[in-house]
Parts: sequence; C-alpha cells; structure tokens
Amino acid sequence: MKKIPWSITPEEMAIARECIDKALKAGASQVRVTINKSLMDLFMFLNGELDKVTHSGDRSMVLNIFADGRFGTFSTNRLSMADLDDFILKAVETVKMLSEDPCRKLPSQERVAKDALTGLEMGNYDPAYAEMDSARRLEIAHGATNFAKAKPEGFSLISEEMEYSDSIYDTYVIDSEGTCCRHIESSFEIGCECTIEDAEGHKYSGYWWDSSSHFDKLSTADCCSKALGRAAAQIGPKGHRGGKFNMVVENEVASRLINPVLNALNGYSLQQQNSFMVDSLGKRLFPEGFTIMDMPREVGANGARMFDSEGVATVNTPIIEDGKVARYFINTYISGKMEIEPTIEDSTRASIMPWIKEGAVPEGFSAKDMIKKLGKGIFVTGFNGGNCNSATGDFSYGVEGYAFSRGRITNPVRGMVITGNFLELWANLYAAGCDARRSMSKIIPSLAFENVDFSA
Amino acid sequence: MINNKEYYTDLFSTGVPEMEQLIETALEDGGDYADLYFENTSYRDLYLRDGKVSSGGFHVDFGVGIRVLKGEKTGYAYSESTDMASLQNAAKAAAAISRGIKAESEPKPTFPFKGKPNPAADRYPIVVDWRGCTMDSFVPVLTKLESLIRAKESRVVKVMAMLSTSVSDVMMFNSHLEFKYETRPMGTLAVSVVFNNGRSTQNNHCSRSFRMGAEMLTDELLEELASQVTGKLDDRFEAVRPKGGKMPVVMGAGASGILLHEAMGHAFEADFNRKGQSIFSDKMGTRVCREGITIVDDGTLRSNRGSLNFDDEGVPAQRTTMVEDGILTSYLHDRVSAGYYNVSPTGNGRRESFRYNPIPRMRATYMESGNDDPKDIVASVKKGIYVDEFANGQVKIGEGDFTFYVKHGYLIENGHLTRPVKDINIIGNGPKALADIVAVGNDSCVDNGAWTCGKEQSVPVMCGIPTVLVNNLTVGGE
Repeated sequence: MKKIPWSITPEEMAIARECIDKALKAGASQVRVTINKSLMDLFMFLNGELDKVTHSGDRSMVLNIFADGRFGTFSTNRLSMADLDDFILKAVETVKMLSEDPCRKLPSQERVAKDALTGLEMGNYDPAYAEMDSARRLEIAHGATNFAKAKPEGFSLISEEMEYSDSIYDTYVIDSEGTCCRHIESSFEIGCECTIEDAEGHKYSGYWWDSSSHFDKLSTADCCSKALGRAAAQIGPKGHRGGKFNMVVENEVASRLINPVLNALNGYSLQQQNSFMVDSLGKRLFPEGFTIMDMPREVGANGARMFDSEGVATVNTPIIEDGKVARYFINTYISGKMEIEPTIEDSTRASIMPWIKEGAVPEGFSAKDMIKKLGKGIFVTGFNGGNCNSATGDFSYGVEGYAFSRGRITNPVRGMVITGNFLELWANLYAAGCDARRSMSKIIPSLAFENVDFSA
Repeated sequence: MINNKEYYTDLFSTGVPEMEQLIETALEDGGDYADLYFENTSYRDLYLRDGKVSSGGFHVDFGVGIRVLKGEKTGYAYSESTDMASLQNAAKAAAAISRGIKAESEPKPTFPFKGKPNPAADRYPIVVDWRGCTMDSFVPVLTKLESLIRAKESRVVKVMAMLSTSVSDVMMFNSHLEFKYETRPMGTLAVSVVFNNGRSTQNNHCSRSFRMGAEMLTDELLEELASQVTGKLDDRFEAVRPKGGKMPVVMGAGASGILLHEAMGHAFEADFNRKGQSIFSDKMGTRVCREGITIVDDGTLRSNRGSLNFDDEGVPAQRTTMVEDGILTSYLHDRVSAGYYNVSPTGNGRRESFRYNPIPRMRATYMESGNDDPKDIVASVKKGIYVDEFANGQVKIGEGDFTFYVKHGYLIENGHLTRPVKDINIIGNGPKALADIVAVGNDSCVDNGAWTCGKEQSVPVMCGIPTVLVNNLTVGGE
C-alpha cells in the first residue's frame, strides 16, 4: 500500500507522548492527548465550469488535563515543542485555578479500546485516496456535471452548483494511563444543488449527494440529474388543508426525527434534567418489537469507529430494544455525576431496524411501499426549520414534500408544519423500512407514522 | 483594537517583501487578483455546572489563507505555519484555479482601498485584554450570575453558565498592495436554566455578546441576563400551542430581527444573486415593500458583535442600506460579486477563519424605526399572534420560503395580549412577508444575543427590528 498522505507521523506521536510527560511534570495527575490531522481537496463547478478549488490541510492537538481533582481542555495548531512547552505550563496552571470536581478522571483501562492500533482496523481507509491528484479530481468533478447535458422541459435551469471533494482524517488518542488508539478514514463526497424556474417565474431548488469512505462505492454519475429531478418534481405545489394525516418520511431526511431522541438519551442532557427521556431506561416508550441498534463496529461502513473521544471501546448494542429504552450514553464524567455505570460518550452509528405495525416486514420495504399501504397522507421529503423542546419533547417542524392518495403521489405540497411530542410521535410509528442509505453515518430508513398533526 | 504595523509583522514573522513574493507566486498562473489573510486567534472558555466552575480551557488557532481570483473563480488554500516554504506551497495550490482558464479580454475592475488602519476610528478598542487576565478572575462572574438567578426564582433546578472569549490578530495584504491589520475581541456570556414547578419542566437560554474586552463583564450585564433568563416564567409554564392557521403576526422589537436576517437578508447577499439563485435576483431598483420601510446591514456599530473596522478582504466596513423607503437599493457584496456587478464592495466579505475564503455575509442587520406606536400595532389586531422569541429559523433562498420556531409569544385577541403561546412555527415567503408588512413601530433596537450565522461558515452577526405587523402568515399550531 502507498504511504497514506498527510497521516500522523512518528515524530508527531512522539510529541504527543512528550506532552504527557511534560504536563505530568508540571503537576497534572492525568493527561489525555489527541492529535487530529485532516486534508481535503475540493473542486466546485458552477453551471458546468470550474468555479472554485480549495486545498485544506489541518493539524491540531487537544490536551485534556486533570490536576488536583480539577479539569481543563486545551488545544492548539502550533505543534513545535518550543510553542508547546509554554502552552502546557499555562494549561496546567489554568486547571489549578478551577473548582475541584472529583468526577473528572480518565476512563478505566478495562473500558478503553485495545484493538485500534494502526487506525486501519475498521477498513475505513481506501488506498485509492493516495492515487488522487488534481488532474484526477478535476476529471471526476468535470465528469459529474450535468449542466450541458440537461434537457429541461417546461422549466429553465438557473444554476447547477456541484462539488466533488475527497479527504483523509487521522486521529490518535493516548493518555497517561496507557490508552493508545488510532482511527484513519478516507472520504469521497459529491453534492449538487440545482435551482430552476418554471414558466410562471417561480424558483425551486433540489439537492442530492453521495458519500463513501471508498471511492468505488461513490455514485458520481447521477448526482446532478437527481438534484435536477428533485427540483423539477416540486413544480406546481398545491395548498393542502391542515389536520391529522399519515406521514411517510423519506430516508434522506428521516434522521431529523431520531436525532432529538438520541440527544435526549445523552448523559449531559439527562444529568441536567434537560431531557424528555429522564428515567426512561428499561421503559417501553416505542412500539413493541421496534429496535434501534448502535452499530459502530461494522467494518468498512460509513461512520464505523472502534472508540469514542475518551478512547473507550465501542460495541454493537441495542439503544432501543423491543420498544424499551436499553441504553443511555454515559461517559466517565457523567457516570460519576449520576452514579451509574458508564457506557459510551454518544451513539456512534444508530441503525433503525426494519419494523411494521402488523405482519412481517416485506423484503426491500421502502417509502413507496409505505405510501401504498397507508393509502392517503403526506410524503415528507424535506424539513424547513423548526425545533424540539429538549425538556418536554414538544416539537414543531416546517415540512415539504408530496400529498398522496390511493397509494400514489398526487401533487407537491409546501409551507406545511408538523407539531406534536416525540414520545407520542414514536408511539404512533407505523413502519420503518429496509431502505436506509449506506452513504450516511446513521442507518435511518424511510419511516411512516399515523395521526400526525399538520398545519397548512 | 489596532496596534502598530510591526506588532502584526513580528507576530506572523513576515514583512511586505515576503508578502509581495507570495502574491507573485499566487498570480504566476495568470490569476487576476490574490490576497493573504493572516490570523492568530486565542479562544478561552469557562463553564459553571452544578454550582461549580469546574471546567474550562484555552485554544490557539494560527494560520494564513491565500486566495486567487480569476474573474469570479476562486482558488483557495491555507497554511498553519508562516514559514515561507509552507506559504509558497499554499500559494501554488491556490493558483491552480487559473490553470487552463483562458484570460478574459479585460479583467473585472476591483476597487482599491488604500490607506493605513486608523486607531482613532477603531470600533472596538480593548480596555481590558482577555489575554492578560487569568481564568480565576472570571470564576466569580459565573458564580455571581448563578446566585442572581437562584435569588430571583425558586423553581430553578439546574443552571449552566458559560463565558467564552476570543481575541484575533488579523493581517491582510493583497495584489493591490493594500495592507490592513487589526485585533478583534469578542466576549460572550451565556446561561441555560432548567426550571420545574412540581408538575412540568421548562428550560430557557439567553446570552449577551460584544466585540469588547473583559470590561464588558459588569454587574449590570449579570443582572440583565439573570432577569431575562428567569423572566416570563409563569407564562412559559402556562403557554399552550394555539390553533394554527393564517393570521396577522406582530413581531416584537429586537430579537425578532432574526426573521429579517434569515428570510430577507440572505436573499440580498450578492453571491446568491450573481448565481441567479435568489428570489431577489432581478429586483434591484424595484419596490419590495411599502414606503417608509428601510432595511440596513451595518458594520459600524461600536462594540457590536457584527461590527468590523475592515471586512476579511480589507475593505472598510460600512452601513449599507439594502432597502430604502421600500425600494431595493443594494445587495451585500464581497470583492467577487462587486466585480461582477461593477460596483464598489460593501465591506461584507467575511469568513469564519483563515481556513475559509471570504463570501458575502451580513453584519448587524436591522430595520429602521417607523412611525407607529407598538401599543397601537397590537391594538389593531383582532385575532393573531404576538411573538418575541424566535429560534431555529431556516430559509430556502430560491423559493424564499421560511420557517421559524417561536419559543415564546402571546395570542392577540381583540387588540390585547392574552394567553402565552410556545413551541409553534411561523411559515411564510420572504418577499411576500416583506410586502405584507403593514405597520412599523417606532422602537427599533438590535438584540445583543450571541447570534451566529451558518451559511457555509459560522460568523458572528447581530439582528434587530422594530415592532412590526405582518398581515398574513401561517402559524402552525394544534
């Protein structure tokens, strides 16, 4: 394999170790050092012509310093030892000025990952990255544009903005107790936004993207035509009355409805009582049989990772199991504060398992099948603004998409709002499909809900 | 704050001859224009949680961004080091935009902004430099803030307070040989509180942010934050979701200006217009709202979070009138869009840090006062909504459609504020909402919260508005 470009060097690792020694010598009791390096090249085309080229190389070091029962976080991108000497002394001095907090400590060695040694174990690095150069990138990006080939009918194409980028991320975590973990990941991404104008002068925009840690899994050919298709499909929206309707949410945007639940299961929110999932562990708050897994250890998958920011080993495990809350996300600090067992800092790769209210989930069950089954309702393909009250779970989101009737899409709708409470929404889940996009770091399929409040 | 030139050249270990050499490299493939942006930023943060100031830290970010323009096309690269070899590499990477692109017959004109930075005209002189203060001097600020909050309200369950500060030394040089430098302070004090009345839980968050040094941390500021975060608490517990539908909406003065920022301001940014994507692309010089309405984007307010002496391209900041007496008079320009439209840039070329190329961004965006009494505006509404706290706004630039989450407001019934409302959305269309403004209060003010705009990059902004009546918006409720 060719040398990995812009990866963390043995010299930089040695600097990290030296920082630990120096911080301990300056009076720290425990120290964690994280080095992050990343390199990104981006080529952007506007209306078929190269419009922007960027080249971004970053390198930074984060020090978590524990001293006299106190804690602080410090970071810098000036990594010469001459700069770091003074930086470390000031950091330790600063930590000693803060209040004592006995819950601040490094994770125990039993919990940290021991198998992330080279950074390549999760299979997230594609050697094809090392073969990339400007000419190749330009060729890929140019080949993906659709502006000259597009044949708009009944509308005009105002702009096509397409970006191709590839990048490498290298993370190295060590601490004074012996933790040593590394993760290397390449990423290839393409995204396109098309703006069109219909005969009446109304503008519509459509976006499509794809991403993969492996170049051969990136779909570049149809990105721009899909973006154009998504814009064109919105022409001629009709007003829709408000009321309680079935709602199918496209896989592309369905994560919007699970993120507030995952946030509410995070220890920081729970400990601050700022969560609608307080005291929910073990309780059935979702339909019977419904399961959300955390799947961080699927080799080669987008978002897969062997350790969290503390170096704690990830594990494939249920978050929601058979409708019951199975996991809080509790780091070492919150574990001490809440006096409960630690788990992991956050969900790494939440994956919603296929589920349907009645019967078995048919193979390949998708949004289209949900629309057929439910007959009438709103198919949501985009969210526009809105919020969730983290303490109560009450939400209100702007949505756009399509009305459907008799199992078929009838017309685009926009300017609608859904309101409700997340616990009630999930209790009204009708189905979770088998159509999650693998390009996302969360595996969220299309979702269907019954009795959702729409205003229009 | 503006130090002398040597302070910056010493800090970045460079001088005019070296910068000229880099510009030469950046332009060697045929670029029309190149600039350098040096930045050294020190961040600090300090957190109070569970009654203790038990975490904090500082962070250093240092580097140089190099940009090359070829017409409207941009090449950009940066280096986290100021050694000449790294900078030359970055200059060559940025120059890549010019390769293989035919020279235009005449390069687009760019306006020179020569002249030295003037300390006498500084919009954010620093009295107490954050960098000269030790962290322990700020611990009592956070503990006092918590005490004030708990003294005002017995239903407090948790208080989380945060002080974050930054000081950025920036130095800019370009192919017109313009040389600009300054030091930009920023201080933000924010607090989140969880309340419980024995039956339910509510939360609230508020903040204040200024381009100032540590002199901003006054007792008055703490009192103001404590009062705001505990204010209207009975209403928050009692608030309901109203019945939705189309109705008149009265925007309260100040923070409601976020609607102006999102729903209208972005559509006035010239890059969206240059690409034909904005709903205002072909509206320059036309009436976009009724007479008497004036909307500005202002970089000149002293110590304001959105203010600048120069933008991030070295163009002097200014007060730009976007809509004057109802007529669209100016977009917000960086050098690229100004060249395209053949106008002078408006000082809106901004970037998050040296890692990003500048693009047109707002600063402090507000509507000027009108002639109506705010009380009369509310009294004129038979049935509608009054909103005074928004969050999480979003707009679709092409369509102009926007959605805003209302954190707090009231029903208006027969001209009076009645039941408190919360957790609803207001949706509409930017140009239509602008055209539907039928009353403008005489009470315009900017909100000094920690507003941050996230268009591609995060930059600090400010927003403001007088009390305004929009005749017809959709309110999403039960």
